[in-house]
Amino acid sequence: MTVASYLFVAACLFGIGLYGLLQRRSLVAMLIALELMLAAVSINVVALTTLAGRDGSLGQVVALILVGVAAAEAAIALSLFVAIHRARHTIDVEQLSELTG
Amino acid sequence: MVFAGSAAIALFGALLAVGLKNIFHNILGFALAMLGVAGVFLSLGSDFLAAVFVLVYVGAVAIAMVYAVMLSYPLDLPQRRRSVPKIAAAALLAAIVTGVLWLVVRRAPWPPPLGAPDDVAAAQTGYRFLTDYVLAFELISVLLVVAMMGAVMVARRTREGGSGR
Repeated sequence: MTVASYLFVAACLFGIGLYGLLQRRSLVAMLIALELMLAAVSINVVALTTLAGRDGSLGQVVALILVGVAAAEAAIALSLFVAIHRARHTIDVEQLSELTG
Repeated sequence: MVFAGSAAIALFGALLAVGLKNIFHNILGFALAMLGVAGVFLSLGSDFLAAVFVLVYVGAVAIAMVYAVMLSYPLDLPQRRRSVPKIAAAALLAAIVTGVLWLVVRRAPWPPPLGAPDDVAAAQTGYRFLTDYVLAFELISVLLVVAMMGAVMVARRTREGGSGR
C-alpha cells in the first residue's frame, strides 16, 4: 500500500470528526468526534514514519504519547461533563452560554 | 487487503459515531471505528500500537463515555434539533478541509511503495521510550496521574449540599 492511501483514509476520518465536532450539540458526542480526529492524526504519523521514513519505532513513540494525552483528556472531559450536568442539568452546548458577551 | 477492510470498518464506524441520534449508538460506532483504526495499524506492522488502541479506546475510553452518559445525559428531556443552516455550514467546512487535505496528499511527491512494511518490534519502541524519549515517558505518567486525580476532584460531590457548586 502506498503512503497516499493511508493519508486519504486519515483525511476522511479527520473530516468526519470535524463535521461531528461542529454539528453535534451534546458534549459527549463532541468528545467522540475529537477522539476520531486524534486517531486520524495517529494514522498519519505511523503511516508516514513506517512507509516514507526510515524508523518505524519513532512513529510508534509519537502515537503512544498521543494515546496517553488523549486518554488523560477524555478522563478530564468526562468528569467535567458530569460536574457540568450536576450544576446546570444539561450538557447541551447551546444552553451553556453564561460567558456569551 | 487488511488495510482496505480495516479502513472501511474505521470510516463506517466513524460515520455511525457522528451521524446517529442516539448517544449510545454513537459510542458503539466510536468503538467500531477504533477497532478499524487498530486494524489499519496492524496493516502497518505496528502490532503493539494496535493492541494499545483496542485496550485504551475500546476498553477504557468507550466504557468511561458510557458511564458519563449514564450519569449525565438528559435522556428524559426532548432533544431540540439543530437548525439546517448550521448543519450545512458544518458539512461544508468539513468537506472543504477534507478536500484540501486530499489535494495536498495528491500533489505531494511520495516515495514509491517499498512493499509490505516490516514489523516494528515492541522492544525497539520500549528501548526508545527509556532512552531518547524518557522525559516524554515520565511526563506522560505525571500527566495521567494528575488527570486521574483531577477527574476525581472535579466529578465528586461536595460535602455541603451536593449541588456541586
